[in-house]
Amino acid sequence: MSEAKEHLDKLTQELRRGTITIGVLSQLSKPQYGYSLVTKLNEEGIHVEPGTLYPLLRRLEKQGLLESTWDTNEARPRKYYMLSKMGAEVFELLWKEWQKMVDSLNHLIDLDKGGDKNGDD
Amino acid sequence: MEMIDRYIYAVTQRLSQSQREDISQELRGLITDMLEERMEGLQASENDVEQVLSELGDPKKLAQQYQGTKKYIIGPELYDPFIMVMKVVLISIVAAMSIIFAIQIIINPVNILDYFIDYIVSFVTTIPMAIGWVTFGFVFLEYFQNVDGKDLNLEKDWSPSDLPQLPDPKRQIKRHEPLTSIVFFIILMAMAVFSSNYFGIWAFNNGELSTVVPFLNEATYNGYMLLILLILSLGVIKEIAKLVNGKWTNRLFLFTMFIDVITVIVVMVMVSGPDFWNPLFMQELVQADMLTEGSDNYQTIENIWESTTLLTLLLLIGGLVWNIIASWVKVRKGKES
Repeated sequence: MSEAKEHLDKLTQELRRGTITIGVLSQLSKPQYGYSLVTKLNEEGIHVEPGTLYPLLRRLEKQGLLESTWDTNEARPRKYYMLSKMGAEVFELLWKEWQKMVDSLNHLIDLDKGGDKNGDD
Repeated sequence: MEMIDRYIYAVTQRLSQSQREDISQELRGLITDMLEERMEGLQASENDVEQVLSELGDPKKLAQQYQGTKKYIIGPELYDPFIMVMKVVLISIVAAMSIIFAIQIIINPVNILDYFIDYIVSFVTTIPMAIGWVTFGFVFLEYFQNVDGKDLNLEKDWSPSDLPQLPDPKRQIKRHEPLTSIVFFIILMAMAVFSSNYFGIWAFNNGELSTVVPFLNEATYNGYMLLILLILSLGVIKEIAKLVNGKWTNRLFLFTMFIDVITVIVVMVMVSGPDFWNPLFMQELVQADMLTEGSDNYQTIENIWESTTLLTLLLLIGGLVWNIIASWVKVRKGKES
């Protein structure tokens, strides 16, 4: 059983990689700093390590999907990230793609399970 | 908190200069945030810091995440050819040095220990050099491949017509043929540099080598050595072209013919040049007690020796014509089928 668990872990990790990006983009219509984002996502059941999220934020910024500003008014300076115009556009499209994927996959799996009940198809 | 500084340093020293400042500030903020959440207003202890840092994980991995793409000195695409070239070069060097060592022992068995030490020393000096140069060449390739690679891959749409032809067994060049030739050429190069003085007629005295009567003029040899190395390098280039192509094509045929013609021209210039052959060859043969002046044998050998230049040229041109015909037949054969 532990081997199955190992495979599960690996596959889940692969799946998660892309979904984290969607999760991050979804939360950044308002500016947020890295750690508040980590807390928020984890609270909502999207598990992400700061060591993954921080580099991801920088990458998305480099690609032009996010914009950042340093806020130096608080006790310590924090870097706030927010969707750029293009980032917002990309998120809308990505969100639709994701829904399509979930629908298709659910449909596909339902079909198969239904088929099992009625004998082979 | 010294530990935090050390952690941030360990991450940022692996990053490029331009990112360091920003990332180190961001990381410091992150670590403080994590500590604050954990402590809920209390003062953080050394132990808490350690826990937070181990949650963040190995700084090496974090730095890799920040860098994004993996960097290679020699990437996966070049790795296989790199290993192949390295093997060919190392085998050639070991073979060449072993041959030289063997010749030295035959000639002068008494000094075997000295020669053996030379042999070992030459390994220590030449092998790292060879490894270094091969690696350097491939690092260079990798670097420029990365620079161009991005544009090429993005712009060029692949279409099925780009697919390479299936190898035709009649036109195919088996890999071991050019590889063997390359090893052979490198051995010849090493011998041309290190032991040209053994290229001649070996005179034995009671089963031991007494002298070698050289074919070449030792006084002028150093100048000609460059030409000889040039010819052998041309040979290596030709074999590499065969290896890369993997089959006989019209272009490869023209290219090898071109190299062959240049080789023959260079050899012609060389052997017919002044003082290429040993001018004292006949006298030295007599001195080595191999001939007596005025005998029939002396006459015959002198006749042969004097036409050496002509013979060499005839052999070379014969070889050239043979080569061209053989390659041409292979190209034609492929076309008919």
